[in-house]
Amino acid sequence: MFSWLEKNPFFFTVAFLVVFSIAGLVELLPDFIKSSRPIEGLRPYTVLETAGRQIYINEGCYNCHSQLIRPFQAETDRYGAYSLSGEYAYDRPFLWGSKRTGPDLHRVGDSRTTDWHENHMWEPTSVVPDSIMPAYHHLFKKDADFDTAYAEAYTQKVVFGVPYDTQGGVSLGNIEDAKKAYMQEAGEIVNNMKNQKIKDAFEKGEVKEIVALIAYLNSLGQSRMTK
Amino acid sequence: MGWLSDNINLFGLIAAIVILVLTVYVAGVLIKKMRDAKADGELTDHKWDGIAEFRNNLPIGWVVSFLVLILWGFWYLFFGYPMDAYSQIGDYNQQVQVHNKKFEEKWKSLSSEDMINMGQGIFLVQCSQCHGITAEGMHGKAQNLTRWGKEEGIMDTVEHGSVGLGYDGGEMPPLGLSKEDAKAVASYVMADISDLKHTKYPADVQKGKEVYNNAGCAGCHGPDGKGMPGMDNFAPDLSKYGTYDFLKRVLDHGKKGHIGQMPSFAYRNFNDTQIKALAEYIGSLQPLSED
Repeated sequence: MFSWLEKNPFFFTVAFLVVFSIAGLVELLPDFIKSSRPIEGLRPYTVLETAGRQIYINEGCYNCHSQLIRPFQAETDRYGAYSLSGEYAYDRPFLWGSKRTGPDLHRVGDSRTTDWHENHMWEPTSVVPDSIMPAYHHLFKKDADFDTAYAEAYTQKVVFGVPYDTQGGVSLGNIEDAKKAYMQEAGEIVNNMKNQKIKDAFEKGEVKEIVALIAYLNSLGQSRMTK
Repeated sequence: MGWLSDNINLFGLIAAIVILVLTVYVAGVLIKKMRDAKADGELTDHKWDGIAEFRNNLPIGWVVSFLVLILWGFWYLFFGYPMDAYSQIGDYNQQVQVHNKKFEEKWKSLSSEDMINMGQGIFLVQCSQCHGITAEGMHGKAQNLTRWGKEEGIMDTVEHGSVGLGYDGGEMPPLGLSKEDAKAVASYVMADISDLKHTKYPADVQKGKEVYNNAGCAGCHGPDGKGMPGMDNFAPDLSKYGTYDFLKRVLDHGKKGHIGQMPSFAYRNFNDTQIKALAEYIGSLQPLSED
């Protein structure tokens, strides 16, 4: 029966794939379908947070920080509640990472605040004496990219069906509405910051990268689930 | 030969010897076979470049164990270990339950020293990122906890006011008292009002009582310092100042004050023992600087 397959490498490969996928299909698929749905009450990222997420990717934060807390007590004691797969439903791409040169960031919004991040990004050793993280002064100088962030959020809505503009959820609207919401959200962050240059720039209508990044980091927490 | 007393080393050594003996034996058998064995038996009809295969029956023992394994596999997958039976989160819950039980048993009766040690452990993991390893607030980036909950903390509040504890009475303005008066009020609050009933400056308590009543403290904190009667959430209940309840409130609600924002730690689900330990540790800290 198998000698025919032995003489036909292509069909042998096909047969091999079929046989060896069965375990994967049976074990993975049902659970995956169940858990990959967005968990109830999860809100999508706002435009400012999307801009911050782009900066997070751009700066390669995931090279040292993971965003995935495993359900072991040692992990939850240190980083906060374990991550659920449904929390990543609106993440394209996901930023799990496995490297933990720095701590896991998936619950950083629960335990750190805007002014902490401000101190930390300006001079990491001022709040974490042993930190080997570099300072990110350039984030305080460059403007965050609203247009790309809006485009990304809009794409998420139209192409992937991410529920923006729902009752009581995150509204996107047209680009003017989005810009207004973006500035308002940035204003709240800037209010909590102490750097005068950031405040002055905001008066002139500029939102620096650090503001967007902090908005994103603040969104990484359990508050994002209950809103 | 001390290294042989280690079980793993001993086991490894024995395993190595067994493998060596088996290798020599099998090699011997195969070499003998190459020398003596003759190509007899029935060949199958397919050949690869002149090399053919004998038509041998499957060994009975192998066939039996193969079939038994398949049956066992069915049983294991569908009955013995149903496909949905394992949950990582369930595993986690069990682990936490066991830990909590162990925690309670281990720390049933705590000496003050144990409390301080436990509190320090929690502090270093959860609080030191903002308040600093020495709890002095990292050069003004967060509240200086070496003074908090003590006379110095009250003097500081009298001098600068207080913003962020989220009481209905709103912001407490700076009172503009002299240093002596502030110290006196602080000692009065610590000695008479607070449940701690202990002050470093007992001589000032009587004067502090006068200042408390004259400077308007009673207007918000009530005549006995327990807050305004009938308005629970108007101003802090000073009898809780420096105690576990006071710390618990800050941990639950967070704080947004002059320095910056402290997030609520309600999500951490500290148990009472842990908060008490934390309060004990903070209470044990000695103020580092006068200003």
